[in-house]
Amino acid sequence: MKSANIIVVGGGIIGVSLAYGMAEQGEKVTVLDNGRGVNNASRGNFGLVWVQGKGAGMPRYAQWTMEAAQTWQTFSEKLGEKTGFAIDYEKQGGFEVCLGETAWSQRKVELEQLQRESSFGKYDFQMLDRQSVQDLIPGMLLGEAVTGASFSPHDGHLNPLKLLTALIAALGKNGVTLYSDQQVESISYRNDCFEIKTSAENFSAKKVVLACGLGIKALAQQVGLEIPMRPQRGQILVTERTKPLLAYPFVTLRQTREGSFMIGASHEDVGFDTGTTLLQMRSLAGHAVQIFPELSKLQLVRCWGALRILTPDTKPIYVESEICPGAFVVTSHSGITLAPLHANILSKWILDGATPEGFEQFHSKRFDA
Amino acid sequence: MIDQTFDLVIIGAGPAGMAGALEAAKHKLSVLVLDEQPEEGGQIFRSISTTERLRPEIFALLGNNYQSGRKLLFSFQRSGVKYFSGASVWLVEADKSVSFLQNGIAHQVKANRLLIATGAQERPVPIPGWTLPGVMGAAAADVLLKSSGAVPSGRVVIAGSGPLMWLAASRFAETEVSILAVLETVNFSNYLQALPYLPQALLASEYLKKGFRIKMQLRKAGIPVLSGVHNLRAEGAKGLEKLYFTHRGNSKSLELDTLLLHEGVVPNTKLTQQLGCDHDWHELQSYWYPLLDQWGNTSVKGVAVAGDCGIVAGALTSEASGHLAALESTFQLGKISQKQRDAAAHPFRKEINHHKAVRPFLEHLYRPNPKILVPQDDSTLVCRCEEVTAGFVRQAVKFGALDLNRVKAYTRCGMGQCQGRMCELTAAEIIAEAQGKSPREVGYFRCRPPLKPITLGQLAGLEKKIKAS
Amino acid sequence: MVQLLKVLNNSIQKGLMLKRLQKSQDKVVTFWFEKNPVQAQEGESVAAALLIAGVKYLRYAQVSAKPRMPYCWMGVCYECLLEIDGEQNQQSCLITVKDGMHVRRQLPAIEKI
Repeated sequence: MKSANIIVVGGGIIGVSLAYGMAEQGEKVTVLDNGRGVNNASRGNFGLVWVQGKGAGMPRYAQWTMEAAQTWQTFSEKLGEKTGFAIDYEKQGGFEVCLGETAWSQRKVELEQLQRESSFGKYDFQMLDRQSVQDLIPGMLLGEAVTGASFSPHDGHLNPLKLLTALIAALGKNGVTLYSDQQVESISYRNDCFEIKTSAENFSAKKVVLACGLGIKALAQQVGLEIPMRPQRGQILVTERTKPLLAYPFVTLRQTREGSFMIGASHEDVGFDTGTTLLQMRSLAGHAVQIFPELSKLQLVRCWGALRILTPDTKPIYVESEICPGAFVVTSHSGITLAPLHANILSKWILDGATPEGFEQFHSKRFDA
Repeated sequence: MIDQTFDLVIIGAGPAGMAGALEAAKHKLSVLVLDEQPEEGGQIFRSISTTERLRPEIFALLGNNYQSGRKLLFSFQRSGVKYFSGASVWLVEADKSVSFLQNGIAHQVKANRLLIATGAQERPVPIPGWTLPGVMGAAAADVLLKSSGAVPSGRVVIAGSGPLMWLAASRFAETEVSILAVLETVNFSNYLQALPYLPQALLASEYLKKGFRIKMQLRKAGIPVLSGVHNLRAEGAKGLEKLYFTHRGNSKSLELDTLLLHEGVVPNTKLTQQLGCDHDWHELQSYWYPLLDQWGNTSVKGVAVAGDCGIVAGALTSEASGHLAALESTFQLGKISQKQRDAAAHPFRKEINHHKAVRPFLEHLYRPNPKILVPQDDSTLVCRCEEVTAGFVRQAVKFGALDLNRVKAYTRCGMGQCQGRMCELTAAEIIAEAQGKSPREVGYFRCRPPLKPITLGQLAGLEKKIKAS
Repeated sequence: MVQLLKVLNNSIQKGLMLKRLQKSQDKVVTFWFEKNPVQAQEGESVAAALLIAGVKYLRYAQVSAKPRMPYCWMGVCYECLLEIDGEQNQQSCLITVKDGMHVRRQLPAIEKI
């Protein structure tokens, strides 16, 4: 039986962000990962640090996202300084393209609604007409169907694989113990202590944080928490590299630092299937070519499917178990965007119980019937 | 989108694909053969039709092993099977619909049964400097001779091990190619380990006699043959200029223009991996292969394999296994009874068993040298496309990337255009060695489409229908 | 233009990479490589014809921009990718020469679009 201080279950973006944040405050942290995450959200996502359009129906979440976007630059620099890893983070603003006339006006209505709801001040965005978008992207001609786009100066993107690598490196520098081949099988709570059985070892810990994505549901039940969540597949295409043409990310199209274009994503209810389908591949290719017809020349190099972790209202769940105090659940499908907050703010919640204003809105009891 | 469903779609037109097609056609199955090459023949009979027609001297030079393919070719061409050349399959889905690209247009066709006969590829040989212009495979050079009648023009060294290396050396020795030396990398201990299987191998003695003849031929031609060569290293500025190696403890070097490397062949498993078929690791020959029953059925219903993309066993076995797979399809589609299938299979089983006899001997003798499977020099490129070195792969393992897919995410190894065809096996060996594991535990890349180049425009424009005549 | 000629001249160094084994010139096929006419024989692959004509490499490596030549000659190494008649990423070792074909190198990570 290995004794640990705090155990984080899940070595994906959320788990390592939390562990990093706690370790930065001097805590001894252990992370348990089952090593099978290659097709999980952390490695299969699009790399967006996105504010635009988020938080409909929950202004607190829109604010949470905005906070994250505003602290990302500092977070990225600090991570770079600590580990020497660059994560290619850029914040030049981002677009959501509008194809056809109706889309443009619909988008305007959606974003104005968000602005009205947001109680924290200006939630800025701009509706741009086609020419204005073209002026901002001189490198490629827009397709005929593009009527314009919504633009938010708060949006950005990064390399998600490099981010995960950098965070893991930071864990190493901070003395976090990371097990990369251990599946947590059961958690029990006795005498203010958690006993965690994995495929290889037994651990005891004072606190346990469940940050293992779709695997949270089963484990959370063992610590007295009901966490509603479901998988949703997104398929993504990646092209060969080319010269820098697109400085701004679109929500469905971005160019990486290496020069390849990423195109995404679908929203499919197919259970835990991370396969790809011709139907979606064609649809995504068609979409990209509609925005920038010149992209049709690029070779498709690979595509994949990965699973988003969706709560019923798609907003995060941050909750501590009442039955087993010291057991926490952290889940969100925006693990990339929210990484700085998970590291800096949620770590304090887990360690000291310090919660930001409005935090109770992220509690899972909002789903109780 | 899809106009007709074929009884059987065959991917590949080498011996296995052609034999499977003509067997299926015999039983009146509707068959479509998709071949990425410009004409039938696979690699062993590459461009046989064009070579005979346009390059008769080369046709004669290539000898009976090559010329014997005519018979199969004629039968295939007369069978009335629908054949698409220049058709590259880039996606196969679970329902057996096949997406391919031909002349820049994307098509899709549906099949009741699939036969994958995509053959083998040369095992990539990652030595320092192997990406220099002037370095190519030995079987590659042989294929070049067949497909285009061209040979290396400068000073050539052939290095490696395996029957195809000797065959290439033998063919080039008959031409005006200037062979400086043949360097064999086989460890002496391999000979000892292969010895117990020699008696069995004598049952298929034509293979051994051939090997012996080739060695005599090279001696007669005055071509130096060195055995037990290690530590190959290629160097040059813009192209290959020098080859360094050790022989019997001595460091040697040769100035040269072309280096032909060969360390055996490995199955093309992209299609079977993409379909999610079960695979196993071949301990002796160090490659992944799809698990098959005696009819070539994979673990995926309706999908069969014939030829060297299963276990590497040579052209004659491939041809026989093509027949067997086609007979099985015919039976599964209800056109013949089980009894009829088994009876018709008899001569092909006999053929396969005959050639099987030499395999244990060859597989032990030409068991790849671990020093070649795992590049010792950290600066050696493992992934040619993304230029990932052996050292970087090792660093990834130290970092906690313990299997192939995690190493890919960390290093970009396998993310390039060849999708791991040139680096996957090497990366697996490095990762396995670093952990004291077998490559079996390290796994293979999750195989994602597209399997062959396709542009976004071609993909978006997918719309053509396929009609069967 | 000058840049291209420089590149082409550098690639035709002393000593050709490949040579034809059979000398007979039954049917000559003429195609274009960059802006230069190349004479090939019927039935040769584009990649082979170029190397016979003296071209020393077909592409540059993606990261280091070092010159690369075909390695496998059978469609698995992807070192023979060229633009042929406007179509990108053609595996030129698998494509037979045709009269009037336009073949171009694809510079890495630069001029795809």
